[in-house]
Amino acid sequence: MSKISFIQGNIACAEGALAAGCRFFGGYPITPSTEIAEHMAMKLPKVKGTFIQMEDEIGSIAAVIGAAWTGVRAMTATSGPGLSLMMENIGYAVMTETPLVIVDIQRGGPSTGQPTMASQGDMFQCRFGSHGDYSIIALSPATVQEMYEMTAEAFNLADRFRVPVFLMADEIIGHMREKMTLPDTVPVMPVRERTERSTLPFKAEKDGVPGFTPFGKGHHVHVTGLTHDERGYPSTTNPDVHERLVTRLVAKVESTRREIASYDVTNPEAETVFVSYGAPTRAVWQALHDLKDDTVGHFRLKMVWPFPDWVEELFPQAQAYIVPEMNLGLISRELERHVTIPVISVPRLGGALHEPEELIRAVEGAK
Amino acid sequence: MKLVIDPRRCKGCNLCVKVCPYRIFRPGRRPNERGVVVPELDRPERCANCRLRRLYGRTICGVCQLTCPDQAIRWEEEEAYEPRKVAVEY
Amino acid sequence: MNFMDWYRADRLPTIFCVGCGNGTVINCALTAVSEVGWKREEVVFVSGIGCSSRAPGYIDADSLHTTHGRALAFATGIKLANPDLQLVVFTGDGDLAAIGGNHFIHACRRNVDMTVICMNNQIYGMTGGQGSPTTPRGALSTTTPYGAEEGTFDLTALSIAAGANFAARWTSYHVKELTNAIRAGLETPGFSFIEAAVQCPTGYGRRNRLREPEDMIEFFRTHSMLRQKYDRLLAEGKLVPPDTIVVGEFVRRDRPVLGGKK
Ligand SMILES: Cc1ncc(C[n+]2csc(CCOP(=O)(O)OP(=O)(O)O)c2C)c(N)n1
Ligand code: SF4
Ligand code: SF4
Ligand code: SF4
Repeated sequence: MSKISFIQGNIACAEGALAAGCRFFGGYPITPSTEIAEHMAMKLPKVKGTFIQMEDEIGSIAAVIGAAWTGVRAMTATSGPGLSLMMENIGYAVMTETPLVIVDIQRGGPSTGQPTMASQGDMFQCRFGSHGDYSIIALSPATVQEMYEMTAEAFNLADRFRVPVFLMADEIIGHMREKMTLPDTVPVMPVRERTERSTLPFKAEKDGVPGFTPFGKGHHVHVTGLTHDERGYPSTTNPDVHERLVTRLVAKVESTRREIASYDVTNPEAETVFVSYGAPTRAVWQALHDLKDDTVGHFRLKMVWPFPDWVEELFPQAQAYIVPEMNLGLISRELERHVTIPVISVPRLGGALHEPEELIRAVEGAK
Repeated sequence: MKLVIDPRRCKGCNLCVKVCPYRIFRPGRRPNERGVVVPELDRPERCANCRLRRLYGRTICGVCQLTCPDQAIRWEEEEAYEPRKVAVEY
Repeated sequence: MNFMDWYRADRLPTIFCVGCGNGTVINCALTAVSEVGWKREEVVFVSGIGCSSRAPGYIDADSLHTTHGRALAFATGIKLANPDLQLVVFTGDGDLAAIGGNHFIHACRRNVDMTVICMNNQIYGMTGGQGSPTTPRGALSTTTPYGAEEGTFDLTALSIAAGANFAARWTSYHVKELTNAIRAGLETPGFSFIEAAVQCPTGYGRRNRLREPEDMIEFFRTHSMLRQKYDRLLAEGKLVPPDTIVVGEFVRRDRPVLGGKK
């Protein structure tokens, strides 16, 4: 029986991970994400899982990648400064096609910034922060319920694509308490593991993803962050090998954009459309409720990356998009690349959520 | 047992020359087709491992093989005695 | 089984320079691993970045060639997630003690069950011979063109102070002793640290009047002193020649271990 519960977003995140079978957590304390680590420290040993507090976030993500290669579901949770430290190894996870989940409870930056205040300032960092070309998946919850469900789903996506999956939450959702339904089980997709040793462990299947070859199963796989061929052997000066590999790493995610996309469309006939993700979604909901205007719609992203660049198909009559974000306008810029009508950014810094009135004024201004 | 240097692996560092207590290796003289001057063997049948490995059932000495940074030294089983063709000149 | 059977024959010869000591240390490590009888399925070789860290790529077993300095953190994750796996880490002096210094002391402190072999060539080999935390005072490198001025780390002493269960130091000249030390490290539960002084003719020797590989081997032969003798000389208040490399086993103890077999 599913049960109704009243918990904090960060705890819901940890519970979602546990429900999805996460059995390894490596982390380093940082506000406003620490409750996730603390909850995992308490719960993981009881389910024969491993919690370790590493010496820093570089070590945390490294340990998580190592653990993932033993075939367990592994995750870490952090905030901006920690995410910055993880960047090199996130690129490593991409290059080595390591499935793992990174939770970022965003706080105000740059630098140490506002440890206890919300922000969405890391939305580009999670997508582009490590060097080189690559692609990742990022989900953005707006409710405590979604903290639970999206964390669980993040593991399925990570396993399916063998790619780091980000849960881009923020201090508001992380620290908010609200009612949620704890389901009995969450959908857990089986991992596509190779059953036999192959001389080409990094040869992709039709969907661009190679079957997983965890350590300890006789695969004798060599895993390296250097450009490698299908054998997994370094091949660092052959332009074709590099191009083929990097193109595949990007394509395996980007080519499925439409299939895996996750968003809510409210009022597709709208002329003015709010585009939101994460906490500002809640302000939009309130504004829509207060406005009671059927020329206003809402495009709410649950998966921010890969970005659904076919927005215009969804709102054929739109005249303007309004994008409230808790940054100086990041995803609004991404949206601008893909649409022909004006994109109005409604930035918010400092940690407080947008006021619904502010959004209503923006609608009036757009008309 | 017969001591051999794999000419495809040897890089000609001469560390084997340095470490063999019997001085079985000596610096080579001519570069091979890879441009590497592979050491020459001086009466390799004197090598302790060649003589004693079969008797003791394990590697004896083996310092050259362990030292060789390029995994170029090994021992091969010698073929059973085959009468060699002798070019007989009448 | 001979250590040669552990190599990926299709990847040889290695990318190492002529006479580089790394190959020797890999030979010794693989000999030790085959002596303790570990099966390939149960060992994972891990490394960071550097010439020395290329080692796992030549070994026919599961292996993780990670990012610069982070090998021990990756290895910690593997070991804790699956304690049935045996962990052997190859690292260089720059990888371990400069960029990876923090992970090093913490892996020792946790006493994670793994064996770490540091090929200490006193230089950054892969990037062309820059100074490292073990470049001796006065030695020339591309970033210490007037001679290194900084003090050096004693890696073995550092591992002991930080809590490792086993620590030994040998050189690429002492192949038998090095093999035995690695074997003892593999057999000792907890964090085992083996420092192997190796020659880097290209990055170090060339600039420091040890041009030929055998020059450095000769240096190791003539400048190594057993730990027992060294201690005795010190106790007697006698002079120890400068440049002495103190070799031997330094510690073997049984502090509580993290990640031991369940
Ligand atoms: C984050 C990062 N910084 C710098 C480098 C460049 N780099 C590659 S290897 C290396 C030094 C390696 O020296 P050491 O660990 O002593 O190994 P060796 O090559 O001497 O065996 C450096 C600085 C890198 N790969 N990654
Ligand atoms: S030690 Fe090995 S690589 Fe060096 S010269 Fe001898 S056989 Fe060749
Ligand atoms: S095994 Fe020993 S005696 Fe035989 S060639 Fe090698 S170093 Fe010399
Ligand atoms: S640069 Fe030095 S450490 Fe690197 S392969 Fe060459 S000799 Fe070895």
